[in-house]
Amino acid sequence: MKRVITGDHAVAMGAKLCRVEVVPAYPITPQTLIIEHIADFVNDGEMDAKFLTMESEHSVMSAAAAASAAGARVFTATSSQGLAFMHEMLYATAPLRLPVVMANASRTLGGPPGIWCEYNDSMGARDSGWLQVYVEDNQEALDMIIQSYRIAEDKRVLLPVMPCLDGFVLTHTVEPVEIPQQEDVDSFLPPYSPDITLDPARPAMIGTFMPAEYIMELRRQTALAMESAKKVIGEINDEFARRFGRNYGGLIDMYRMEDAEVALITMGTVTSTSREVVDDLRKAGKKVGIIKLRFFRPFPSEDLHKVLSGVSAVGVFDRSISYHGGGPVFNEVRSALYGNSLPIINHLAGIGGRDVTKEQIMKMFDVTIKAAKGEKMNLINWHNTRGESV
Amino acid sequence: MFEVRFHGRGGQGAVMAAQTLAEAAVIEGNYAVAFPFFGAERRGAPVLAFTRIDPEKIYSKTQVYAPDCVVVLDDSLLDTIDVVAGLKPEGTVVINSKDKPEDIDLGKEIRTGAINATSVALEILKAPITNTTILGAFAKVTGVVKIESLEEAIKRRFGEKLGKIVGERNALAARTAYEKTAIGRSKGIKKLEPKKQWLPAYQELPVGGALVEGKTEAGLIGPGSFIENKVMGWATFRPVRDREKCTMCLLCWFYCPEGTIVRISDRGDLMTNYDYCKGCGICANECPVDAIKMVRARV
Amino acid sequence: MIKIKDLPDDNLFTAGHTACPGCGVAMSIRNAIRVLGKDTTVYVPASCAVVFGTTFPYGAWKVPFFHTAFENTGACLTGMKAAFEKKGKEVTAAGFAGDGGTYDIGLQSMSGAAERNDDVLYICLDNEAYMNTGIQRSGGTPFGAWTTTTPVGTKIQGNQRFKKNLGDIVVAHEIPYYATLSIGHPLDFIRKVEKAKSIKGFRFLHMFTPCIPGWKMDPAKTVEVTKLAVESGMWTLYEVENGEKRITYKPGKMKRVKDYLMMQGRFRHMGEEDIKKLQMWVCKKWSLHYKEKGAPEVCEIEPPVEHHAVTEEHREMHGP
Repeated sequence: MKRVITGDHAVAMGAKLCRVEVVPAYPITPQTLIIEHIADFVNDGEMDAKFLTMESEHSVMSAAAAASAAGARVFTATSSQGLAFMHEMLYATAPLRLPVVMANASRTLGGPPGIWCEYNDSMGARDSGWLQVYVEDNQEALDMIIQSYRIAEDKRVLLPVMPCLDGFVLTHTVEPVEIPQQEDVDSFLPPYSPDITLDPARPAMIGTFMPAEYIMELRRQTALAMESAKKVIGEINDEFARRFGRNYGGLIDMYRMEDAEVALITMGTVTSTSREVVDDLRKAGKKVGIIKLRFFRPFPSEDLHKVLSGVSAVGVFDRSISYHGGGPVFNEVRSALYGNSLPIINHLAGIGGRDVTKEQIMKMFDVTIKAAKGEKMNLINWHNTRGESV
Repeated sequence: MFEVRFHGRGGQGAVMAAQTLAEAAVIEGNYAVAFPFFGAERRGAPVLAFTRIDPEKIYSKTQVYAPDCVVVLDDSLLDTIDVVAGLKPEGTVVINSKDKPEDIDLGKEIRTGAINATSVALEILKAPITNTTILGAFAKVTGVVKIESLEEAIKRRFGEKLGKIVGERNALAARTAYEKTAIGRSKGIKKLEPKKQWLPAYQELPVGGALVEGKTEAGLIGPGSFIENKVMGWATFRPVRDREKCTMCLLCWFYCPEGTIVRISDRGDLMTNYDYCKGCGICANECPVDAIKMVRARV
Repeated sequence: MIKIKDLPDDNLFTAGHTACPGCGVAMSIRNAIRVLGKDTTVYVPASCAVVFGTTFPYGAWKVPFFHTAFENTGACLTGMKAAFEKKGKEVTAAGFAGDGGTYDIGLQSMSGAAERNDDVLYICLDNEAYMNTGIQRSGGTPFGAWTTTTPVGTKIQGNQRFKKNLGDIVVAHEIPYYATLSIGHPLDFIRKVEKAKSIKGFRFLHMFTPCIPGWKMDPAKTVEVTKLAVESGMWTLYEVENGEKRITYKPGKMKRVKDYLMMQGRFRHMGEEDIKKLQMWVCKKWSLHYKEKGAPEVCEIEPPVEHHAVTEEHREMHGP
């Protein structure tokens, strides 16, 4: 069934279809619609979940961790300052291997405050052990909630997953979304059945004080789970594609990369706009394509290395700054492509929610194409910014 | 470089001793560092502290594994800890003990200085705080720092924190120990089995560190496994119950924070399991009929 | 009602834990869990109790144990209980938080769970300072007390504020049950834990738990000092059930607060002026709790009590 709904509504529908059992919630723009929709589902009897109106995001993630440890499938959503406030608890859920799924409505974090899209909220959580996937439209937002539970609860992974959707650009935009049938989701996603829970019938200790003799092995174990997730994400993507007819490519997706000489690595909704830019450039005879970076954690280093082996330059879009010069994605891509001599150019745009236009994306390709031709270009390019700009 | 490892129990002041020794070395124009091993143990549990002394600046920030000297503040530690582990063959042990060096079995024949620091401390400080006392013995046995420098360091560090008189008294305790320390060679008979520890590789570590009741080669793990942790070494005193006087009111059983006092319901009796007694004395203090007396745990 | 003799032989918080000798927290935990029984799951926020109760791979708890952080006892209990309810399991979700974790950093989370009236049991083990980090002042630290962050200086001596009235804050949430407990009053202690276990909704047990190193006292005196706290009015034993307050133990003639202070090194520096100030605070509290209508306001104070030492030697070891 197709419905014309916002990204937030799509996420809420996804959570409902996954039969989540506990939803600790706290409002924050532009995520609030998600928890409001879930509250409606619960109060209208459409969804059999414990909806907990917590008093802060820190408490949201605390309740989420505890409910997950007690064996429940848990969902919540947050954004920006909320994500920052629960930061401590992100570091508890992941190493304790609690497969919570939390949607993050990407929003600028910090002072001075704003409410529009930027990735500096979730980028700060990149070393917490959470998986992160950035979606491009409302359909993918819904589908990735469903896939996220399969990935998170896979025994080879058992890590929490954070699907990120662009604040306002998706959260508050309506578009047609195919709502999967409940029975199809049920057969794709079996109930959560962890081996060890806080069950008095079989007492367990979870989160004990841990001395140095063990904690390094625990970190290594978590790192292994994150590495294993790469394979699992691919398998689950393929299975989802078979069952539901929508294939997102796994860790990364590609558009017109078959014979591309220049590639742009994009994330989130900028991917969507870039598809049209690529079509225009292709019409003009430019051999360009895009690589949609879906998962930022685990980072698809091997995939990027492989798909970029034939191109002569790559541009990297970043929607936040890491204060080392460029953006965090740029940093990761350069590290992934170590040993490969192709020019890697960073494009900073859309920060603080500034609209990322086709012209800007066109400019990103322009600069990258010049670099491909051997012209000396700036490594880091601020787009549509006053002062020296591209 | 001269490296020292201190063995004590939480609350005995091993860290303060290590720092005071460092200060004495600095007074003599050396460079010195002192640091604890930051365990999370509570008062009474074994702790470690280290001091390094050298004429030049010391850069090493690791723990000490091959000490030149080991200082033992509490000889009850010998029952469970191989205090001479890694000690250099020409190294020295300084130990708080009422015995002569020749009568102390360290599992290794080694140059040893023994001082009954507890008795010196009780006499001079009116408290069994042995960390300054034992430093006097250290000066005597090793000669690494002069007793005068130690006295000065003690006055500075303790005086600063606890007042001039306390500083002077502690310096006197060190001096007294310096005079009384006996030097000889220890016995090397007993063999301490190294404590077994379950150390799984990362692939074998339970997912997320979540544990249910289990058993490994090194013993129990998971819920309730602390039962294997015998803590009797912590105790200076232990309770002795007079069964004639006891009315089985069960207050001692209720109050014991440890589980030392075990009730055997079918016999209507109580049993004291000294494996877990830390010697707090609550049972004796609260017994309404004075049926429990605290006696020295080790004589 | 359960008597001491009715408590189970086996303890769900085993021996071999690593708390300090004479620990009031260990004593309270062991007796609370005796009453709560095996169908309990505990959350322990950052505190001594996490460390002495579990150190990987060992643990003293024989019921499920969970820990993540410091400030979130209320929220973790809420989440845990929601999962149990969803799965139809009858489990008591019990949190054992310290005073720092309740009065200060955990107040918001506790308040959230209380206000929602979540069906959880919140236990505050009040030893009147941050003991796990080495004795720093908390909102629960009494007036005059030495801590490492309220040191006895040449200019300022000890804690300058009076203990926060947490009881009234908790009760203001209109929860079904709040009670104060003393380990020195076993029957009252057992009854309150039992009662809290049986009630639905948010229950709060406020336990007075002496700390030997933090209070600088003889480890044999944990119970004695608790009793004296009650007899002097420094700690009062009452319960509030659905808004109805009831004094559960009324001391006889009020003992001097000075006698209570004398037992503990943390108060030893206090001058007569400060002792008087604290005595006035206690008197006010005393009349608030115990004064009959129409009785005179003045509180009469008994002469000093004599403390007996366990043995001469023991006294020598631990000081008067």
